[in-house]
Amino acid sequence: MIKILLNTVIRNLYKQKVYSIVNILGLATGVTCTLLILIWVNYELSFDTYHKDIERIYTVYENQKYADGDIFSVYSTPSPLAESLKEEYPEVEYASRLVSTWGQLVLSANGKTFVETGGKIVDPDFFKIFSIPVLYGDYISPLSNESTIVLSRRLSEKLFGDIDPIGLSIEINSNYQFIVGAVVENAPENSSIHYDFFLPFKFFKEYWEYDLSDWEANSFHLFVKLKDGANSEYLAENIRHHVRQRIPYSNVELDLQAFEKYHLYSISKNKSGPIWYVQVFLLVAVLILLIACFNYMNLATARSERRAREVAIRKVVGAQRRGLVGLFLTESIVFTTIALGLGIVFVELLLPVFSDLTNRTLTLNPGNLKFLIAVVLIVLSTGVLSGSYPALFLSSFLPIQVIRGVFRQDSAMLRKVLVIIQFTMSIALFICTCVIYKQLNFLKDSDVGYNKDNIVYVEMLDDFYEEYSELKGELLKIPGVHWVTAANQMPVNFLNSTWDVNWPNKSVDSEDVLFQLSFVDFDFIETFEMDVIQGRGFSNQFGEDTLKFIINESAAEKMGMVYTIGEKISLWNYTGEVIGIVKDFNFNSLQVGVDPLIMMRKPSSFKYIGIRVGEDKDPIINKIRKVWNRKFSHIPFNYRLLEEDFNYFYQAESRMGKLFASFTAIAFIISCLGLFGLVSFITENKAREVALRKVFGANVDNVFQLLFKEILKWIVLSIAIAWIISFFAMEWWLNGFAYRIEMGIGIFIMAAVLSLLVACLTIYRQIARLVTIAPAHVLKYE
Amino acid sequence: MIKTKNLIKIFRTDEVETTALNNVNLEINEGEFVAIMGPSGCGKSTLLNIIGLLDNPSEGEMHFNGYQVENYTERQRTNLRKENIGFVFQSFNLIDELTVFENVELPLLYMKVSGSERKRRVNEALERMNIAHRAKHFPQQLSGGQQQRVAIARAVISNPKLILADEPTGNLDSANGEEVMNLLTQLNEEGTTIIMVTHSPSDADRSHRIIQLFDGHVVTENMRQKL
Repeated sequence: MIKILLNTVIRNLYKQKVYSIVNILGLATGVTCTLLILIWVNYELSFDTYHKDIERIYTVYENQKYADGDIFSVYSTPSPLAESLKEEYPEVEYASRLVSTWGQLVLSANGKTFVETGGKIVDPDFFKIFSIPVLYGDYISPLSNESTIVLSRRLSEKLFGDIDPIGLSIEINSNYQFIVGAVVENAPENSSIHYDFFLPFKFFKEYWEYDLSDWEANSFHLFVKLKDGANSEYLAENIRHHVRQRIPYSNVELDLQAFEKYHLYSISKNKSGPIWYVQVFLLVAVLILLIACFNYMNLATARSERRAREVAIRKVVGAQRRGLVGLFLTESIVFTTIALGLGIVFVELLLPVFSDLTNRTLTLNPGNLKFLIAVVLIVLSTGVLSGSYPALFLSSFLPIQVIRGVFRQDSAMLRKVLVIIQFTMSIALFICTCVIYKQLNFLKDSDVGYNKDNIVYVEMLDDFYEEYSELKGELLKIPGVHWVTAANQMPVNFLNSTWDVNWPNKSVDSEDVLFQLSFVDFDFIETFEMDVIQGRGFSNQFGEDTLKFIINESAAEKMGMVYTIGEKISLWNYTGEVIGIVKDFNFNSLQVGVDPLIMMRKPSSFKYIGIRVGEDKDPIINKIRKVWNRKFSHIPFNYRLLEEDFNYFYQAESRMGKLFASFTAIAFIISCLGLFGLVSFITENKAREVALRKVFGANVDNVFQLLFKEILKWIVLSIAIAWIISFFAMEWWLNGFAYRIEMGIGIFIMAAVLSLLVACLTIYRQIARLVTIAPAHVLKYE
Repeated sequence: MIKTKNLIKIFRTDEVETTALNNVNLEINEGEFVAIMGPSGCGKSTLLNIIGLLDNPSEGEMHFNGYQVENYTERQRTNLRKENIGFVFQSFNLIDELTVFENVELPLLYMKVSGSERKRRVNEALERMNIAHRAKHFPQQLSGGQQQRVAIARAVISNPKLILADEPTGNLDSANGEEVMNLLTQLNEEGTTIIMVTHSPSDADRSHRIIQLFDGHVVTENMRQKL
């Protein structure tokens, strides 16, 4: 029976080639998108899962509470916290701090020298918390010896080749000696923590002169592994005020985040983190698959006239409804299976592009059990869903109606509804894509309060401020170099903050206002072309200009100063006067607003040289490189462009925007296939009406108008529904930005015009064929 | 075998009510060959559909093989139909996507007959209808007469007690029509009851009895002498 069933299905498929191709392509496209999205989602969900006992690993983070009710959540914690938690709470089995090496280090070994930035400073417990395979050396406790360095396989091979380097020495920045204690496997790509080498905290303390017993500075990620069976909620509750118990005026509350959530979930209460993208794209996958299923339903029921006779005959000779439902479901499952085969081929072909778009190395692994389960589920659910309506509808024909010729197409209404839903979803996706693009372009192009273009910056190694002065002089001699300055950070990503700022008449309410903090050199304001509202920037015309402050508008407002300079304020134990107020500029992503900012000149903290160059950057950069190489022959000239960093802020969003656009295009294509199916059905059904109208005097134009009107009114209805849905969805999305666009009516009108145009193009040929057919040809079959 | 009592069939649309059959009382015995005649729209096909258990009457009784069936559900009617009744239509009603062999085999599939048995019976029926050489062809590759022979093979494959033929020669030329009528007559002689709707007096001549319908009423019943 099954063989006969399949035989019939395959013959049907072959006989109706256009129908089959349209249907299979629709399903295959839907399946392809769904599989691509599932592969990506699976990859995102696989992050960090390779760590043993991951359910026992937690990150400790700070919720900093501010006067205005804001809660600022950060992964940075004080250094003594790790040891203190381990001592006081029996639930904590292991605890390790983690901090990236601040900037680049020069590693020399085996006669080779490399500048490396991928160093991590961790406690020995780090290797007990995380599953990092040790390839050579100390398997039990890497890094427990404070004179050792742990290398990743990659760095070990780079420095020493294929040999076992245990016991060999490495020199860091010419005056720190380490022995290779262990070589560990590289971090897999789906790891949240990436590393090239690990160093002990002793180095951190000595090299950066950091007071590791200070409870007030917070520079460290903290990971803990709880004992088996420990209650994390109970622990989180207990450690909440741990910092405040030591620093009574601290605004910090501690909390725990399960490490499983580290990659996808935000610790900020009002942000969802990248999981949002995962959810949105899962929704998109479901929508596209639904659109493809509706498409199938539409096309399958559109052929009902053709199939009715077959159903009637089968029933006359004894088929029960159940058997016929089976037949049509088999048909849809066969279609879906073929579509899946095709979909897998498409996925293989598209994966490289998709990997590029998502910035992940994605692979199709057909042997994977999860993949197989997903595939079977997709085939069954798509097959059954898309086949369900045709099966129930077609099998419900009463043979007597078909034989008597009074058989009616009751599914017409439902089919219209399906097309309306398809188009609504596609148009809504289209509008959302346009809004997302508009917002991203707005963020990229909007005035950030300084000129981010044509800024080249280089990271300096420590202790060469003296050399910097000389370098600055030489750089300024290069034609095309307009300004040179130095700072501890570039304005794309300010990381330092403090609430230890005082000013005259500071109110209790302002006690814990968080100030961003930046240490900048002479000419900083000029280099970045910031607007000075009052006063001046730091300048060597005024001597050293230390113990002076420049603040931004927001800071002035918080301090209650109405643009007056000369006020004395103090930062930590430095007291000095405000010499300038700058217009607010964005030093973080525009998704967040501008915080109060204090700038001070503190040469010992400078890390970057910022250079404003002319439009034609490349030759100027080459000249800068020559000067650099002459002065620092042992350090490679690794420059960056500020505008590239700035764009990096929006990389995730822009990537998601591109993905969204691709899937929207696909949704549109499938919807058009649906419309094509519906129109074929209508033309089949309307042939007689059109012929009769023509016999009685209608001309081609009249009939054209009549049919277009009938079809386009559904598209208009879809447009109206899509407008409403997308408007509210995008309002909600835009409200998550500190700086946002107004959507404007343009996008909505564009979506409407475009969808009408696409719809017209889809249906034109079929309608044209119908209206030009000779009436005698249609009526003779009556 | 078939008995109807005050059979009424009314077709209703929103505004119009049409009485297709009005108080039809009939009795047809096993082994009879009955022709139903009358002008277009007189209710011939409606009567045939009710007798063939494709439709239920609006009122009255319908007995088939000793069962009172007028209130049977679709499922019950299907079960009774597939065991007992074969159909031959004017427009053949073969499934285009199935071969000749598969079309004939179809009723046996729904009766859950084994594969080997199906093969034997289909081949036998095709031989008998003189169409075995076309077993692997599709309906559209056959002439009208050939298609109708396939339809008759399908109608007899389940060895039904009753064959209902709705203008079986209506789409055929005279030679093919003659051939089809010969087959039906032969089946009747072998014991199968045949009820045939026809416009053709010469086809009706083959029957034992002619029932004349007019506007849903049985007007006359003429017994004919078997030739």
